[in-house]
Amino acid sequence: MKSILSKILALIITISIFSSCDEEAVTPVNPLAGLTKLSEGYALGASAKVQVWGVKAFFVGYNKLTVVVLDSINPTDTIKDAHIQFMPVMTMPQTTGMPMVHACPVENPAETAVNGVFPGVVAFVMPSMGGSWKLSTMIHNHKNDKEGTASFDIVVASASPAVMSVFTATTADASKLVLSLVEPASPKVGMNDIEFTLHRKANMMSWPADSTYTIEITPEMPSMGHGSPNNVNPTHTGNGHYKGKVNFTMTGEWKVNVLVKKDGTPVSNNASFTITF
Amino acid sequence: MSDTVLLHELVVAVTLPLNNNDVVDFYRTNQFATLDNITSRLNGLSLIKRGAYALEPQVNGFSGGQLNVTIDGMRMFGACTDKMDPITSYIEPTNLKNITVKQGTGSSNTGCNIGGAVDMTLMEPVVDSAQAQIASIAFGYESISRSKNLLLTLGLGNEKWSWLLDGVYRKNENYRVGNNQEVKFSQFEKTNIHSAIMFRPNKQNSFKADFLMDAGFNVGYPALPMDVSLARATLFALEYQHKAKTQLKAKLYFNEVVHIMDDSKRDSLYFLENPPVGKSDSVYMRMDMPGKSSTLGAYAQLIVPWNEKNKFTLKVDNYTNNSVAEMTMHMRYAGFAPEKPMYMQTWPAMLRNVTGLFVENNTYLNNKLTLTLNGRLDFNIDHLQSEYGQQQFSVFNYELEKTQTKLVKSLNVSGQYRFDTHFSMLASTGYAERMPTIGELFGFYLFNAYDGYDYIGNPYLKAEKSNFFRLDLQYSHSKLKANLNQSLSFIGDYIMGATNPNIQAMNFYTNGTRVYTNVLTARLYSADLQILYSPLKSLSVFVLSKLTLGEINKNTPMPLISPLKNIVAIQYEKNSWELQAECESALAQNRINVTYGERVTPAYAVLNVKSAYRFSLSKVAFNAGLGITNLLNNVYYEHLDWGRIKRPGRSVELYLKMSY
Repeated sequence: MKSILSKILALIITISIFSSCDEEAVTPVNPLAGLTKLSEGYALGASAKVQVWGVKAFFVGYNKLTVVVLDSINPTDTIKDAHIQFMPVMTMPQTTGMPMVHACPVENPAETAVNGVFPGVVAFVMPSMGGSWKLSTMIHNHKNDKEGTASFDIVVASASPAVMSVFTATTADASKLVLSLVEPASPKVGMNDIEFTLHRKANMMSWPADSTYTIEITPEMPSMGHGSPNNVNPTHTGNGHYKGKVNFTMTGEWKVNVLVKKDGTPVSNNASFTITF
Repeated sequence: MSDTVLLHELVVAVTLPLNNNDVVDFYRTNQFATLDNITSRLNGLSLIKRGAYALEPQVNGFSGGQLNVTIDGMRMFGACTDKMDPITSYIEPTNLKNITVKQGTGSSNTGCNIGGAVDMTLMEPVVDSAQAQIASIAFGYESISRSKNLLLTLGLGNEKWSWLLDGVYRKNENYRVGNNQEVKFSQFEKTNIHSAIMFRPNKQNSFKADFLMDAGFNVGYPALPMDVSLARATLFALEYQHKAKTQLKAKLYFNEVVHIMDDSKRDSLYFLENPPVGKSDSVYMRMDMPGKSSTLGAYAQLIVPWNEKNKFTLKVDNYTNNSVAEMTMHMRYAGFAPEKPMYMQTWPAMLRNVTGLFVENNTYLNNKLTLTLNGRLDFNIDHLQSEYGQQQFSVFNYELEKTQTKLVKSLNVSGQYRFDTHFSMLASTGYAERMPTIGELFGFYLFNAYDGYDYIGNPYLKAEKSNFFRLDLQYSHSKLKANLNQSLSFIGDYIMGATNPNIQAMNFYTNGTRVYTNVLTARLYSADLQILYSPLKSLSVFVLSKLTLGEINKNTPMPLISPLKNIVAIQYEKNSWELQAECESALAQNRINVTYGERVTPAYAVLNVKSAYRFSLSKVAFNAGLGITNLLNNVYYEHLDWGRIKRPGRSVELYLKMSY
């Protein structure tokens, strides 16, 4: 009797182990689903062909870009181990003297590919109106230990509604700050994640992430004159990212007012983002 | 404790104490009375008024989800989130055989409730070869609102089959108050039709099918910022009855209510700061609020007299209600393209399933004493049908389960003691709980025009509870009938809105936001006195006095409580003539709840006179009437009238009914 019971028990355990294994079956992910190829070119010296993919054409704001690196001789061979650096440069011709040149914040991809591609970020701070943008992508191909750069002349459009606010802090050092709206990408009625990045201009070519500020949000619906309850102010989660919660009680046009503070003192004026859905 | 009113042919046994039958009989002079006209004169009943249409019944201060309002035991729910369509608004007196008002927790036959029950029984086809064909048509007119009314009843039958058709068409324009001021948006138009077919193979068994459709069009609500372009109810019912020593009644039904409400007729132009240009400018705003509610249900009731002294009633019922209400706001600044519409679900798509079990035992101990014991259990399942509804509530940090269940119960005992043939006493006590309504649980920014706040549901509400005590003293004599009824309810977890300053007002109409909460305690006391005195056969006098006192947490007056109201009427009937004069008056209401937006209501008194004359030409019987309501053309309103909208001024009423 006892042996029968233990056999049944063993059987049950075996079945449950197998059935739990089934649930973990992995479905292949297409890392480029829903993305558009924005630029393509050779990184001479690195024996690599570089493609830059994005959700939509380059815009002023936090651009999530996906880099695909292919072997330049055998384009079916994807390079999955490389060191990639974005080097965006804006050149603004001046009426007198040398043209003004500056960069913008970036988040370089990790050295190991995710699903065979390299996701990173470039936060363009102005449109291609007062000058021209060039996006250089430096590749250190770990496969052959060669380096090279692919450069793309690109056009950056203004975003409407704006998803970035570039302002000068009202502190003594007059830091130039770049506040980008990252989330909600698809806003809905109810509680939404809200995410910003904050970068500070150290010099013309260096715009590092900054974690020393605090951010407060106040959503409102301008045409109804009301806000929403129970919002959670974003807090720094690393690498200049600030994450919180925003509540929308209905569809329509919402305005999220953002106040950036340094040591408890406001440093921003009237920064706001319009979110319509 | 219960009063059944036969609205048409009345059979009143002499030994019965004074009840609402007598009241309706007394007021039968006007065939055009709307259901609201009649119910406002029944004891314990008051009406909350938001316009000339669809008055909401209140029993001893209880209303809404505290009451059960049913049609022959069938559940039906209004589709308006603002309670603008109580189900009494979808029924006409012409449709009804009787209306039963039960007060207190013991009225749980149709569902657990803490306030009382109003049940309306639909007209039945006459199964009688002697009265095989009936037909009547009537016209009526009221001058104050240029109200035109047409009523129709048709019937056909033989010994086994019978059929009935009854219906009403009404059209009212805006009425005027005593100072001749027009009350805008008090118009309405409605069509109502009810048909029933009955098959009675033998004396014991009968089958019946009912169809009813009631549609109101262009209904104005002067006390609210919105009007209703369509309020439509459709009802289907199948019934089987077995009438022998053991009685069985089984019913299967479906009904659907559609309520289309918007502010397209109102002046929706505001001056506001225009964000695009930053200066004051005109803003056009429009709000659409459609709602839909449908109910599918069934019940079976068995009555067994299990011995000479005991009668046992067992009833099982189940219904599923499906409700959804939406709000879309459209906004446009002058000179700009319209903004993206603002959409929300004021009632997220909801499914409520309730299974009930009711048992009652009546014991006739002896000639003097009768005891009644009853109880009920309702098992309630609420199911949020869309993820949207769940998400919407995440704004308030509510994490809603898709399905929630709750059990509510009721247990009551009452005893009637007859001192002698004239004098009797009825004492009752009981405990009951009631489910919070869908609006109270899941409502999302429901605008209450009375206090000007938006109400938000609270899915964590507890059931409202009541400990109920009632004492009825009844005196009945051939010339004098009198009742004195007193009810006292101790309410626990009383459900009301509490202002939440953290939630901003939703639009320009509103003062702020309130969230439904359970308040620890509340108390309601009601007393009614009814006297019918007939010194001569041709002369009778009727007196009705209604008093309700309510308080929340032992010191705050409960809102929407009528002051002492009196009706004194005298009627003279000779040969074919009938004359009636009535004085309706109320004291000022000074016990008010300021937080709820209440203000003191002054006292008033109005006089009404009516006359009727009956005659016949060959086989056609005629009944003609002439009456004047508000004879002195007073300007007044009642405390339960929302927005202090004044009542109609002097109005001449005419009617003519022809029956065959």
